[in-house]
Amino acid sequence: MHEYSVAAELIAAVLPHAEGISGRIIAVVLRKGELRILSDHALKEAFSIASTGTLLEGATLEIEQVPAAVHCQHCGFQGRPETLSDPRFHLAVPVLSCPQCGKDVEITGGRELLVDRLSVDEQDAPREDGASDA
Amino acid sequence: MHDIRFSGEQILARQLELAEQVRKRLAEQSVHAVGFMGAIGSGKTSLIERIMERLSSCDVRYGAIAGDSAGDDDHRRFLSHGAVSVNLNTCDDCHLDAHRVSHALDQIPLESLDVLFIENVGNLICPVDFPLGTAVDAVVISVTEGDDIVRKHPKIFTQNDVLVINKIDLASAVNVDPQVLVRDYLVLNPHGRVLLTNASSAEGIDDLMTALEIPCTSTP
Repeated sequence: MHEYSVAAELIAAVLPHAEGISGRIIAVVLRKGELRILSDHALKEAFSIASTGTLLEGATLEIEQVPAAVHCQHCGFQGRPETLSDPRFHLAVPVLSCPQCGKDVEITGGRELLVDRLSVDEQDAPREDGASDA
Repeated sequence: MHDIRFSGEQILARQLELAEQVRKRLAEQSVHAVGFMGAIGSGKTSLIERIMERLSSCDVRYGAIAGDSAGDDDHRRFLSHGAVSVNLNTCDDCHLDAHRVSHALDQIPLESLDVLFIENVGNLICPVDFPLGTAVDAVVISVTEGDDIVRKHPKIFTQNDVLVINKIDLASAVNVDPQVLVRDYLVLNPHGRVLLTNASSAEGIDDLMTALEIPCTSTP
């Protein structure tokens, strides 16, 4: 349950960019690797609370998933691993093995946590106190 | 309406940087750092104690960082084995992070250690997202948690290559087949290594030390 600290870091990373923007920020888009164990629901809730009183207040947090990627040193494969479709596991989980030759692999993607972009409505300027009318 | 694109600002980047700093700091002092993650009550501390007992007879100098939400029980157990130990209470946080570990390292004379155990808070979820700068990590579960524990927490097993299944002496008493746990783990991580242990009797400890690259010979 570390979504609040992640939301706080996210807001701290975005705010310097938000200060010079003309218009209202209506969405922050985050790219999250599928190997991360972060709850989208809790992250959005934390973002909503922690952004109150800042230029990001009222903005929604959108989360895009980055698929896992692996590199195989044996056959050179680089790309998505196979995903386990065993219903006993309930989740779609990447399998840590080369989908091409079956040997061991290194994880090269899927642990990202990146700010990708802000969506701005330039018709709607934020108030000077940073609060939202909405 | 328009979008403003970012050039890949990593959230938690500072954690990654700190973990790398910890890794370098330990490497510079030739300290082999071994992380223990795992379920609450799975036997992480007991396994480390059994390894310490082996190391005490083969001239390897060892220390520990005892991560726990509260209390100093594990820390005192490590001290009783002659270890240099730092008690690291997270005060209700559910995982260690590299920042806390780096401060703990300030209290350890690294130049006089060969092996450092870093025992995480009992948790199969949150530690996954927080690398600590260890050289190798083990995830510990035990048969008493049930034969579905791997299926319930797949992401930690996908991302860690050493699984310890402890308390195998209790398997029949709790009606759990350890091979179900082994099979589930190898589905997720076909090249991972599985060790079956009984920390009470030290069964499987030598193989675990080999898997964790812990030497039992004197270092010059």
